[in-house]
Amino acid sequence: MKRTHHRAAAAAVLSLTVPLGLTACSDSGGSTDGPIKVGAINGITGLFQTPEVPKTVKAVFDEVNAAGGIGGRKLELVSKDDAMDPQRSGQAARELIQSSKVVAFAGSSSAVDCGLNRATYSKEKIVSIPAVGVDPACFTSPNIAPVNPGPYGLTTAMLYYASETLKRDKVCLNYTVLPGSGGGIEAAIKEWTNLTGKTLALKNLAVGNGDPTRYLVADKNAGCQAVVYNAVVGPWFAQARTQGMQKVDFLLAANSYTDANAKVIPPDMSAYAGTEWQPYTDTTLPGNGRWAKLVEAHGIQKTAFSQGAVMAADVFVQVLKTIKGDITRKTVTDAFKKMKPIQYPMVGTPWVFGPGKEHSPIKGSRFVKAENGGWKVLPGGFTVPGKVS
Amino acid sequence: MVNSVIAGLTSGGGYALLGLCVVLTYRLVAVVNFAMTAVGAFGAFVMVSLTDAGLDVWSSLVLGAASAALLSAALGAALVRWFAGHRERTKAAVTVALYVALTAVGLRLFGGTTTGAHRFPDPFGAPVFTVGGVVVPRSVLVSLAFAALITLGVGLLLTRTGLGLRLQALSERPATAEVVGIPAPRLAVGVWAGVGAVTMLVIVLVAPRLGGDFSTLSGLISTALAVAMVGAFRSLPLTLAGGLVLGCLEGASSAVESIQKYQGVVPFLVILVLLWWRSRGEVWDTAHSR
Repeated sequence: MKRTHHRAAAAAVLSLTVPLGLTACSDSGGSTDGPIKVGAINGITGLFQTPEVPKTVKAVFDEVNAAGGIGGRKLELVSKDDAMDPQRSGQAARELIQSSKVVAFAGSSSAVDCGLNRATYSKEKIVSIPAVGVDPACFTSPNIAPVNPGPYGLTTAMLYYASETLKRDKVCLNYTVLPGSGGGIEAAIKEWTNLTGKTLALKNLAVGNGDPTRYLVADKNAGCQAVVYNAVVGPWFAQARTQGMQKVDFLLAANSYTDANAKVIPPDMSAYAGTEWQPYTDTTLPGNGRWAKLVEAHGIQKTAFSQGAVMAADVFVQVLKTIKGDITRKTVTDAFKKMKPIQYPMVGTPWVFGPGKEHSPIKGSRFVKAENGGWKVLPGGFTVPGKVS
Repeated sequence: MVNSVIAGLTSGGGYALLGLCVVLTYRLVAVVNFAMTAVGAFGAFVMVSLTDAGLDVWSSLVLGAASAALLSAALGAALVRWFAGHRERTKAAVTVALYVALTAVGLRLFGGTTTGAHRFPDPFGAPVFTVGGVVVPRSVLVSLAFAALITLGVGLLLTRTGLGLRLQALSERPATAEVVGIPAPRLAVGVWAGVGAVTMLVIVLVAPRLGGDFSTLSGLISTALAVAMVGAFRSLPLTLAGGLVLGCLEGASSAVESIQKYQGVVPFLVILVLLWWRSRGEVWDTAHSR
């Protein structure tokens, strides 16, 4: 009986305090003194792991803080791990907005954040600048603008590179597509067709696990000269070699651009990879010097994702510095919606947020080729579809 | 379509081998071992780590197989020591927990899909002949021969030898086996060790075709279980056939555009129908025997 009373009392208190708390949050939108709290939702555990991203964003913020912060206020990153779990991702966004009172999100890297939280970001009038935009919603939402071209922009760039730079007539596409992403890939292919007037010789958006021989045999039958591919690398190349496909150019998506994958590609196979930022394997490329120095100083793994983290944090800080007066959620959102494009050397096109209903400011890709167990950066800079370089 | 089916058939040997490992474990120690491929992948990655460190392939292979045997034996010893009297489902649940744990540890130690990719030695990668545009490498024949060897060898061992009889007794009535003087715990741990080593060899053999990173290789358990289902976890020849059928179905379903999207499901649907068909026969027999 007594316990029931306690529960009823607690519920009454909650029912009173929660709405009050919510009102207070949405009114304040971050305090005007003390540290500027910035949120990020990152995959740290689970299937999509990017632990280096929040570490790198924090390293940039530490650098800014050491130089006096923004208008005398320190930047504080509040990163939450969503473990690629939709429920945790939604909860993380709500907690960061309502309890931590973050002024914006910068440097998120989650496979589920954009799709799940886009409505929350719009409703709360808060902006997010993900370090790594993964799902389609990252590129089609009013309050999200990633710093990478993403899988769709990259697909168009890879097809464009195959048909226009490598001059291959029969271009094929073998993709593993996450549920809900098929439309984005179809749109990317359509964009390439619109730009070049060419169509695919073979399209398979259902490449699954298991022996890849069946897909490779289909590619051979279709006479593919270039194959754009985004799934597991090792068995694909081992079997392509067995099937005698040494003369086919294989173009791999950015997720395959790792040191380990360069080592599993047999030396007589022709493999390219599209990179979202300047290839991370060459620290002398524009913009890579600052990134390499920063991650090395903090003992952070050198990956493409950590490049995205530096860029997201850098553009965020740059826009924040343009704000005159209080830094609150409202002023931050306004600044991003009204900002001027930023030229960032690590990518192919200027980055801008702006007032639009969807944002995909970064286009194009650079290409690397697998050689002697490593990746060789190819000359020619960024390939931006439709833009003559 | 024909080419795709042929391409699928060439994968069948590898699938059959995986299924046979499951059936083998079940027939010998009466446990559906979900951690099987994770243990095999562990040994395989010990092997490639050693070759990376400069050790020759054969010594690495032996040490890799020994490490898988040791890990499997430890798992077997734990099951014998703490779960001997429990039901099969409890033992299966233990192996599920171990699968999750081993996969997590393996991911930490050996990296994920992109960061932990390894090139496994492929001594049987050379082409032997070409059928309908599909190049068939030696590894396909080796897989099929290995699968046939396991099917025949284990079949004979279980039915024609004293050791086989003791193993069957151990699997079906462990307590009774111990009463009649069979050293059940020691024999069981020995079987676990043997199965661990065989699984590691199978994983190394299929790795160039089915995946070069830890999570993909340990995830092969779903394929292995599907194939084992065809043989109802008992029949070795049917399991061998199941592997080949699964390969053909995969090939066929990837060739038809309208069902391409569901190609991952098609083989399992067919297996489900097969199982239903067989159980229908059993129900019929039971009804008539009454």
